[in-house]
Amino acid sequence: MDALLALALGDTLTRLVFFPAAACLPLLFFRREAFRAVKVYALAVSLVELALGAGYVWTHAGGGFARLAGDGAYRWIPSYGARYELAMDGISMPLVVLTVLLLPIVLLASFRGIDRHWRSFAASFLLLTTGVLGTLLAADVLLFYVFWEVMLVPMYLLIGIWGGERRIYAAVKFFLFTMAGSLLMLVAILWMGWTYHGAAGAWSFAYRDLLRLDLPPHAQLWLFAAFALAFAIKVPIFPFHTWLPDAHVEAPTGGSVILAGILLKLGTYGFLRFALPLFPRAAAAARPLLVSLALVGILYGALVAWVQVDMKKLVAYSSIAHLGFVMLGLFAFDLVAWQGALLQMVNHGLSTGALFLCVGMLYDRRHTKLFAEFGGLAKVMPLFAFFLVFATLASVGLPALNGFAGEFLILAGSYRTLGWPAAVATFGIVLAAIYLLKLLQLTLWGPITKDANRTLKDLSAREIWTLVPLCVLMLWIGVVPETFLKPSRAALDGVLTAYQQRMAAPVASAPALLRPAATEAAARVPEGSPR
Amino acid sequence: MNAGDVGSLAPELALTAGGVLILLADAFLPAARRAFTGLALLACGAAAWAAVARTPAGASFGGLLEATPVTRALSLVVLLAAAISLLASQGYLRRERILTGEYHALLLWCAAGLLLMLRATELLTVFLSLELLSLCLYPLAAFHRRVNLATEAAIKYFLMGAFVSAFVLYGIALVYGATGSTRFEAIARAFHSGGAAVAGVPGTPGISVLASLGVLLLVAGFGFKMSVVPFHAWAPDTYQGAPSPFVAFLSVAPKAASAMVLFRVLEAVTMGAGGIAGGRWSRVVALLAVASMVTGNLLALAQRDIKRMLAYSGIAHMGYLLLALVVLDRRSLGPVVVYLLAYVLMNSGAFAVVAMLYARPGEQHLISDLAGWGYRFPLLGACLTVSMLSLAGIPPTLGFFGKYLVFLNAVSDGLTGLAVVGVLASLVGVFYYLRVVYVLYMRPETRQPEGLLIDGWGRAAAVLAALGTLALGIWPARLLDWLLQGPLRP
Repeated sequence: MDALLALALGDTLTRLVFFPAAACLPLLFFRREAFRAVKVYALAVSLVELALGAGYVWTHAGGGFARLAGDGAYRWIPSYGARYELAMDGISMPLVVLTVLLLPIVLLASFRGIDRHWRSFAASFLLLTTGVLGTLLAADVLLFYVFWEVMLVPMYLLIGIWGGERRIYAAVKFFLFTMAGSLLMLVAILWMGWTYHGAAGAWSFAYRDLLRLDLPPHAQLWLFAAFALAFAIKVPIFPFHTWLPDAHVEAPTGGSVILAGILLKLGTYGFLRFALPLFPRAAAAARPLLVSLALVGILYGALVAWVQVDMKKLVAYSSIAHLGFVMLGLFAFDLVAWQGALLQMVNHGLSTGALFLCVGMLYDRRHTKLFAEFGGLAKVMPLFAFFLVFATLASVGLPALNGFAGEFLILAGSYRTLGWPAAVATFGIVLAAIYLLKLLQLTLWGPITKDANRTLKDLSAREIWTLVPLCVLMLWIGVVPETFLKPSRAALDGVLTAYQQRMAAPVASAPALLRPAATEAAARVPEGSPR
Repeated sequence: MNAGDVGSLAPELALTAGGVLILLADAFLPAARRAFTGLALLACGAAAWAAVARTPAGASFGGLLEATPVTRALSLVVLLAAAISLLASQGYLRRERILTGEYHALLLWCAAGLLLMLRATELLTVFLSLELLSLCLYPLAAFHRRVNLATEAAIKYFLMGAFVSAFVLYGIALVYGATGSTRFEAIARAFHSGGAAVAGVPGTPGISVLASLGVLLLVAGFGFKMSVVPFHAWAPDTYQGAPSPFVAFLSVAPKAASAMVLFRVLEAVTMGAGGIAGGRWSRVVALLAVASMVTGNLLALAQRDIKRMLAYSGIAHMGYLLLALVVLDRRSLGPVVVYLLAYVLMNSGAFAVVAMLYARPGEQHLISDLAGWGYRFPLLGACLTVSMLSLAGIPPTLGFFGKYLVFLNAVSDGLTGLAVVGVLASLVGVFYYLRVVYVLYMRPETRQPEGLLIDGWGRAAAVLAALGTLALGIWPARLLDWLLQGPLRP
């Protein structure tokens, strides 16, 4: 019990993960109609969470985030070997920071657009944050799965209660698609736990234990397929993407930002953390397929985005293209490309988040997202125009802004190992320039065609404050990317080295072998907590 | 019979005495009717205490009854179902103006029959307890006798139940004829020696067709009580017509005891016969499991009435449960017990809320009638949501954990294919469970609440179930440690 209390109150990942969920309880004591109080409370909670996250990263930066380190492992379900273990390394750190940063921004951005059930809205967001952080930090595969599923319900409610006209369809589609992928992953996880039991004589789902499993190629292929399906749906990779435009278009602004900014990254994070290191041979075998799908995603997403008449849909399809770049970088199996992919995950969260915020601001004013309804807004809303141009250029990949750094690294790295696919992907950047400049042209430039637009108010201080932090970070990453590349380099290098070692080792023939723990480069050192 | 034997009956005696006391009080102190719920709960509590603390592990009555950690755990599961049902009943009975002592007494006696059935190691004892159970269930199903639908439901249940009793009895007779005994251990021995005679001839029945037929009849009988496909047809009609708080009991407790009997029967047949007959019965159980999972989930999709939906979902859940019994060993029981506990909490909790939120029992209980009520009744809405998420198997609920154990057990028995069928079937389930959440929170209200009676007891039932589902889902370690003592260790 003492250990539990220390975990919950100390400077720990546990506190970071569960603080938002715990902060939901006081919401019960707010009056139902006291929107203002709830807003202030939720914002305060999110700022505390941001401080907790920043504080944790700051105090633990000394270790360089080279290895998974965290609160230590605790027994959760001892009879079946499931452990409660949260740990962070350079791969999860940037995404955690992005999550806690976006939380206050989306709450602030929702102040105007959300006019119903604020208690439930705040609770959904806070629970979602707990789910996301848990997913990013779980160092036990079963725990990861639990958090992975926990995320679904709040997101379902966010889309379904506060969404647009076809919100029910979008919410159910989102839920079922994600669930369909993840249930097969559950069977794969159970199978791995059982295999570990057979090889080691004890149950375990711990990430570092499962890494030691040396599975024969055909088993790897099945398991990889189950994991990859779950992650591919989440990313989403080309044929599994159909839920995304629906979910994005129907979700409220805050939901879209979280969805694009963080939830999609969990798919690519899953590949990097689980699917590639756990099943290296299968990943290598699937590489041509996934690289092709990534290319299709880049080009298809861009082309479809080009022809949209709805701003939000355009940004949604641009996400498919951008995430295609990330997938390309991941399957390049190259340190530079991986660094670029991780950076691009963050970039996409920032720039697409800002784009969704801008679209949401227009929607709050005009209750439409159609290009046909706008035009010439730069004249009446100069501040808005500035931020929209900024975010768009970042998204296009203008040098000195963040998108360039990520895309350049991905392309440079993947050209080294993949060759021509990287060249094909470059066309994606050209297309991105086309559709994103179209976005600017149709909304900001030209004459004002609709009278309703003449009287639009420019951004309020609140709206400016939601965009400023994002823009500052975009500029920072663009100018000094090294600040953000350095913490993840060692961790990525560890995973890549382990992958190369395992590919060089002879193929396992027996049903399952345990490799000695000593050769495991990515194994973490437990922090002296009782197991 | 000695004092120890009588002592081993303490839980059943407590329940029976509680029932008799309530009946007497009903006759002589009708003014005290409102206190019956408390009294019946006390009887349940006493029985639970007796089952845990006072019933020594081991055999009694010359081996007719046997208490093990499993029967003890399942006894508690049954009593928990009875308690939730009793809590939810008071408001319902008062609202419908049918608050009399018979209801509580019959429910307590049902529970007594179930506890007896759990511990029975001999077929005739099983049959006796089955009859005690059934004879109390039929009048309870018809308890709302002014409502035609309830009477119809009860008659359907009674007719099919009577057939099933005959099946079970005939099965017992056949097994006795073939093996010369009604005791499970003796039957196992007979199957074993019979199997030994033709060992190495796969596919050949190890023992006479007679005994296999008898076992098949037994499986059908208890499959009926568990409402597995193809013996499920009674469930939706009966659930729809019977009083909702009673369904909270009917839909879970008899299934728990029947699962235990099924385990004992299959254990006697398969463990005795070695691999030969074992493989055959495994296939039978696997077939029943797959049929139940798939049919239950698909039919539940089409339901508009929440009670019928829960009936079909119950069929599917018994399919998941049977997955644990496909390959029988001592490890199978841990998942079974946890799954049943989860099922009690989530299903009884759901029915407790349904009992409070639907006022006209003669009519349909349309899911769409709940539109927007998640905001009107925040507590009950939240409880029903937790139940639905748990039934759908979404963490962090006990429902997820139960499914996890069942599928893990299947995978470690080498039945990965069945586990995949199971998860795909449960994906279908997600759709219709989510529909309830959707209706609760995402649709505008369509009707005003009229004639509802939401009392503290009912709220307590819903909250108890929801909190239990969540708390045990987040922290199952202690529960598992306690449930899986000794022989159940995985």
